Amino acid sequence: MTGALLDVEDLKVTFAGRGRPVRAVDGVSYSVHPAQTLAVVGESGSGKTVSCRAVMGLLPQTAVTTGSARFAGTQLIGLTDEQLRRHRGADIAMVFQDPTRSLNPTMRVGGQIAEAVRAHRPVSRPQAREQAVDLLRLVRIPLPERRFDEYPHQLSGGMRQRVMIAIALACRPRLLIADEATTALDVTTQAQIMELLLELQAELGMALMLISHDLALAASYADDVIVMYAGRVVEQAPASRLFSRVRMPYTQALLEAIPRLERPAHAPLPVIGGRPPDLSALPAGCPFAPRCRHAADDCRATEPPLAEHEPGHSWACWHPVGGPAGRLAPGNASGGAA
Amino acid sequence: MAASLPDLLATADTARARPPRDRARAGWVLELRLWVPAGFLIVLALACFAWPHIYPVPSPVRGNVLDAGLPPLSPGHIFGTDPVGNDVFSRILYGGQVSFEVGFAVTVIGLAVGGGLGMAAGYWGGAADAIISRVLDVLIAFPALVLALAIAEGLGPSEVHVIWALCVFSIPATGRIARSATLELREQTFMLAARLSGTRGWRVIVRHVIPNIVPQLMTFSLLGFGVIIILEGALSYLGLGIPLPEASWGSMIAQGQQSLTATPDLVLIPSAFLFATVVSLNLVSDALRERWAI
Amino acid sequence: MTSQGPAEAALLSVRDLVHHFPTNAGVVQAVSGVSFDVHPGETLGIVGETGSGKSTLARCVLQAPRPASGSVTFRGTDLTTLHGTALLKARRHLQMMFQDPFGSLDPKWTVRTLVEEPLIAYRTGDRAARRQRVAEVLELVGLDPAVHGRRRPRELSGGQAQRVAIARAVALSPALLICDEPVSSLDVLIQAQVLNLFEQLRAELGLSYLFIAHDLALVKQVSDRVAVMYLGKLCEVGPGEMVYRKPLHPYTRALLDSVPGTAPAAGRATTTISGEPPSPVHPPSGCRFRTRCPRARELCAAEEPPMRELATGHSVACHFPLEGAAAEAGAGPAARTTARSEERIGETPR
Repeated sequence: MTGALLDVEDLKVTFAGRGRPVRAVDGVSYSVHPAQTLAVVGESGSGKTVSCRAVMGLLPQTAVTTGSARFAGTQLIGLTDEQLRRHRGADIAMVFQDPTRSLNPTMRVGGQIAEAVRAHRPVSRPQAREQAVDLLRLVRIPLPERRFDEYPHQLSGGMRQRVMIAIALACRPRLLIADEATTALDVTTQAQIMELLLELQAELGMALMLISHDLALAASYADDVIVMYAGRVVEQAPASRLFSRVRMPYTQALLEAIPRLERPAHAPLPVIGGRPPDLSALPAGCPFAPRCRHAADDCRATEPPLAEHEPGHSWACWHPVGGPAGRLAPGNASGGAA
Repeated sequence: MAASLPDLLATADTARARPPRDRARAGWVLELRLWVPAGFLIVLALACFAWPHIYPVPSPVRGNVLDAGLPPLSPGHIFGTDPVGNDVFSRILYGGQVSFEVGFAVTVIGLAVGGGLGMAAGYWGGAADAIISRVLDVLIAFPALVLALAIAEGLGPSEVHVIWALCVFSIPATGRIARSATLELREQTFMLAARLSGTRGWRVIVRHVIPNIVPQLMTFSLLGFGVIIILEGALSYLGLGIPLPEASWGSMIAQGQQSLTATPDLVLIPSAFLFATVVSLNLVSDALRERWAI
Repeated sequence: MTSQGPAEAALLSVRDLVHHFPTNAGVVQAVSGVSFDVHPGETLGIVGETGSGKSTLARCVLQAPRPASGSVTFRGTDLTTLHGTALLKARRHLQMMFQDPFGSLDPKWTVRTLVEEPLIAYRTGDRAARRQRVAEVLELVGLDPAVHGRRRPRELSGGQAQRVAIARAVALSPALLICDEPVSSLDVLIQAQVLNLFEQLRAELGLSYLFIAHDLALVKQVSDRVAVMYLGKLCEVGPGEMVYRKPLHPYTRALLDSVPGTAPAAGRATTTISGEPPSPVHPPSGCRFRTRCPRARELCAAEEPPMRELATGHSVACHFPLEGAAAEAGAGPAARTTARSEERIGETPR
């Protein structure tokens, strides 16, 4: 797809586990455009984190990656670590979940940011320091000159995550991947960090990829959303379409299971039984079929392909919610308490 | 959720969903690393203790001077004889008995007394911890060999005295490990949950603490076993351990040292056995540590 | 002072609970004078973020550790005055569940022995009776005793492990279950299953809950009344619906605004909260929320606001609470989503 900043096609990642191989990512395709926010949503084991790490080349030796991931035309899969290092930080940067573990506890935060700056640009130490202070200011940390000399344990969780973002932005990457970046934070801090990310995106013209298990977060902050299950993309749509006209029963189940403020107390949550599938022994057909309440024989026999049934909205399901593409079941648009 | 290895993220749920049978099969490769050295140890121990009863060997102490100085692979003496005429192979077997007996006794006493004290100190804390820790600290402060020497010298050379002397080393060492393992365990949520379920102190220690610190103590004790054997060898080498003419690998090395250039095998053979035994113990300890993911 | 529930005697009555503990950075004022009641058959939810002291509060109620001061009256007896066997006996009907499903289960024990442990500790019945009860309780939480009984925690999934923890907690038929973030480490779909189980047990066993979490929507979903906690003190207590629709405390307002809704762009919090959480070692003078509150004035720094009942069963500790109409008019995105409930998102009638 032309114009895309990151173009992932048929990405597959297999881990040689003890015994049978684990297909963590099983044919995933998506693209991220400049200044776009894409959310990748899924539960644990869905493959969302593994697919992004595959793009960045951050998987262990036991992982076998096939497929294509082009960043501005350059193929990333298959590059050596040395070659990838040039892209990491400069073109694509990543922010991780737990800032406590991602920051070096024995080094001052300013030094860590300066280190990131000097990794890609030949600047002197005083210049790097100046840029680091600028970055602290960019992520809205008050009194950046003073914070420069502090250690990670002297900062709160939200501040540490801002420092992580500052490190990620050190060389003005064109794409920022936030891997569950706000999951470990309080909800008020999460809101602040998300606002910051959006402001930075606007200021720097960056593309943003949000990886999360939180659908509500994706709905509120992303332009487009893809939903992953058992290593595959099962639904893909702009955020507004996805939640008003959800098609894939799995996405619908996720939506219904989230506790929501509008629901009355003690209302039973609509649940589906079962557990996420065993990635080393996936059944034939649709991986969600064992748990799906709309499942039929063709679901168990053949795997539905991901296809764009409506403009901008793709799904992989033989019996999507709301009937065949183009028609909405009458109950879908109306409300009523759960 | 850790931000480290993504394969853990990918397989966490699936690993738990797999039936227990798979786990046993998966550990097969690890088993080789465990069972080869463990097998060697078992065979050696059996040989040392059972062989003389099943298949007669020449006496280790009443050799005929006329047979002195025979080289290895002589008829009737596979490893040859020593300057006094004792069969080396027989002395290796009986010396091995000593090594295993001393090692086993000291390790078990260390686990029982040291482990018990360390657990008590770690679990109850406060005054008990303060007293026990200081006592253990004092004992650990002495260099092990020096202390063992002093005690053995004071008591006189004999196997039992060697065991007492070496216990002074194993008790505080095991105690330290037990204490730190218990302290770490105390912070775990399931300990609080057990107390909230109503389980009282003693039962908590026996049913919760002990089963969870056993892996650490076991692997440590196996390493300790090897160290004990070496220390016993050292004591015997210095004449303060097993008294001559009784066989001990250490004293055999000391004796053989006198004719090192002429008959090197008198030193090499007991050294080889000492080495192989201690290395096997270390390998078993390592393999168990990996298996139990300590 | 505290919110009024139904007129029956409270099952659990906590008054002026205070607890602090020393750390390298100083003495952390974890809980600074918290009072509330839990009535029989009700679920009281406590919502608070990191550093609010909610977990410390839960453990102090159970006397593990003992609070520095205050009283905890459970079924008429003050637990803070009891020791040893007497405390054990009194605590029989008060059980707890923890956040990490695997952390709260001894990895070396089997599921069966784990669930049997409280029965053995309290010497209820003989071996046969205990086995029977264990099987009963495992089935109650949706596990098969024959299949799962012999397994160890590492052979279970997160949801199953949490069910075992629940089974163990209800084995003695407790009256009150304290749950400290019981579903936070679970995936959304499994979380929903476990929450439904909580509701089912509530109905079948008549359990009362003290449900502690950081997720406001989750707490509101399971609770009758909700208490909001900030930096060791309660800000607001009231019926769930009222706290949600007419929040009185600015912190509650900020929490509501920060929750992303599933309507697109609904949760773009207009962050009615600023700055960083203050240190619990040196909490701000007067009202602890004043350093981040958009409505703070001099009085807030000078005097600590007392808990006042402004509506039936709805109390707030604030000098300048968001009152009635003002609260509704200033309602943030989450409330706007309610107003658009005709366009209910993603729900189909069952």
